[in-house]
Amino acid sequence: MLATPALLAQTNDLDLIIRHVLAGLGHGIHAGRERGAGVEFSEYRAYAPGDEWRRVDWKLLARADRYYVREAERDSHVAVWLWLDATASMAEPSLAMPNVDKLWYARTVLACIAAVAQRQGDAFGLVVLSNGRVNFTPAARGPRQMHRVLAQLSRAEASGQLPPAEMLRASLHFARSPSLVFAVSDFLDLPSPMTEALLRLRHMQHDVRALCLQTRAEVDASFPANKAYRDPEQADGIYGFGPEARAEYRRRRDEHFTALNADWRKHDIRAQMACIEDPVASVLRGWLRQGGRP
Amino acid sequence: MTSLWWWALPVLLLPIWLHRQKRERVRARPLATARFLPRSDPQQQRVWQWVDRFLLLLRCLLLACLIAWLADPVVPWRGDSVLVAAGTDARWAQQQIDAAGFGKASRVDVTGDPLKWFAQREREWLGEARILVVGAVPMPAAQPRFRHRVELQTRPVPFAKTTRRVLIASKRAGEWRSVFAAITIDESAGGKPELVVWDMPEAPPAGLRAPLWWIGDATSFPELKNAKQVGGLRYADSPRGRLWASAAWPPMDAAGARSLFEDWQRLHYAPVAYVAAAQVLEADPGAPIGPGTRALRDMLTMALIALFALERIVTHARKR
Repeated sequence: MLATPALLAQTNDLDLIIRHVLAGLGHGIHAGRERGAGVEFSEYRAYAPGDEWRRVDWKLLARADRYYVREAERDSHVAVWLWLDATASMAEPSLAMPNVDKLWYARTVLACIAAVAQRQGDAFGLVVLSNGRVNFTPAARGPRQMHRVLAQLSRAEASGQLPPAEMLRASLHFARSPSLVFAVSDFLDLPSPMTEALLRLRHMQHDVRALCLQTRAEVDASFPANKAYRDPEQADGIYGFGPEARAEYRRRRDEHFTALNADWRKHDIRAQMACIEDPVASVLRGWLRQGGRP
Repeated sequence: MTSLWWWALPVLLLPIWLHRQKRERVRARPLATARFLPRSDPQQQRVWQWVDRFLLLLRCLLLACLIAWLADPVVPWRGDSVLVAAGTDARWAQQQIDAAGFGKASRVDVTGDPLKWFAQREREWLGEARILVVGAVPMPAAQPRFRHRVELQTRPVPFAKTTRRVLIASKRAGEWRSVFAAITIDESAGGKPELVVWDMPEAPPAGLRAPLWWIGDATSFPELKNAKQVGGLRYADSPRGRLWASAAWPPMDAAGARSLFEDWQRLHYAPVAYVAAAQVLEADPGAPIGPGTRALRDMLTMALIALFALERIVTHARKR
């Protein structure tokens, strides 16, 4: 059974959602070299809450009466970077599923990718763009990093605008090693600091994948007519929508996304469009399959 | 006339109108893809909603209270009633009540003039109520008009015994006493005198006061020197009371004593009212309405003060 987002959105527990979505999807994002945790022993480390029990060395516990965890040599070359756009426009809810909004969907998808990365031993980090600021969680491995990232994801609130391009450019220093960048946004601004940063990352030979979220109502232009609308990221201006404006809306929206897709194709960025009413698991599979192994 | 104040009730519309929020910008819903829509002008819409509803309620109550205070409302609640004048023989009154068919009517004992009492409170009676007045009802100067049917059952009361306290201080006390010879005299009675007979050259004690003094010897009363005179009787007002003096006192014959006694009674005591004849006063829709007792006014005044204070406090709190 493919759970609808409305069903999944009943819980705030990202762990639970990840387990549900990733059931049967554990094969990973890319071909890693390592065989799993603890293959090539490197050192012992004191147990810390959050470590998996199966990594505790029980013989050492019997000898020393302390919990030690076997640290393995992990030499994945790929770091996974999760980009979350948490600006005000991401608060757009679905008409059909009022408890699902774009931010919830983006958060869920990114949490699943983080879980996949953690399972295969990749380092992963998080970049949240919200309220004119960049919230940066450095890439690392392990269950504690997983908790850190999930906490940051849960904490993200849709507000404000994207940070200025210079600030974003200054925070691109992280991407030295080859990395996979998973960016989730609504991509409604075409020359935006975020798309510029993604293009720049692509030019630095990173694998950039974009997930463009939209609602079914946006695609069909089926939001309530004869009401006034405002742009959540621009304070001024009232926009009207009626039957006569539908064609105009469709034309301008198509223009925008045609230009965006052309831009991405030109720079070899793999992008996928998704509606937030679609099941998370299928969207996630489609997105991972699209770019990864042929 | 006070009920005309009810026409001021439309004043309540004033705060209701002032508290109404006239216009509001059309509420715009956030939409991420609004940028693809055509721009439209910000629209105003008429809304019917009120701001500061608690203050509005207070102000309306305040105005309503003020109008009610001015209009002095009376709620009619009394049905058929029997008004019994004070001092009426109970058995005779019961006979009259039964004869007139007022057995179930409520009974009100009235001290004073029952008709005046009724005229003042007539608004308390329901429209179809009948009234029976029993007892010695003083005859009014003009035919009374009421909006209710009023039946009078009257009987003159037998003349009641009255007591007048007279202090006689005189060397000719026996002669003075004979003035009151026709009246039963109780020598022992004390209390405040209503009449002092002073027929001595000595001045009376400073604390002695009475409404009327009969002075036989005017030596210690300088007020009487230049007093006005009526038929040989000099009269003056003093701090002790009114002074009457005459050279011909004490009166020597019965006629003189009677005229003096009658003058005293006539000028210093209210006349005994003439009792009206038994009759039926039919309801007169055009009769003037009495002023009412204004019983509600005290409560309304308190409510007005409390509401005013509250209104000021809430207004002040809202401004901050």
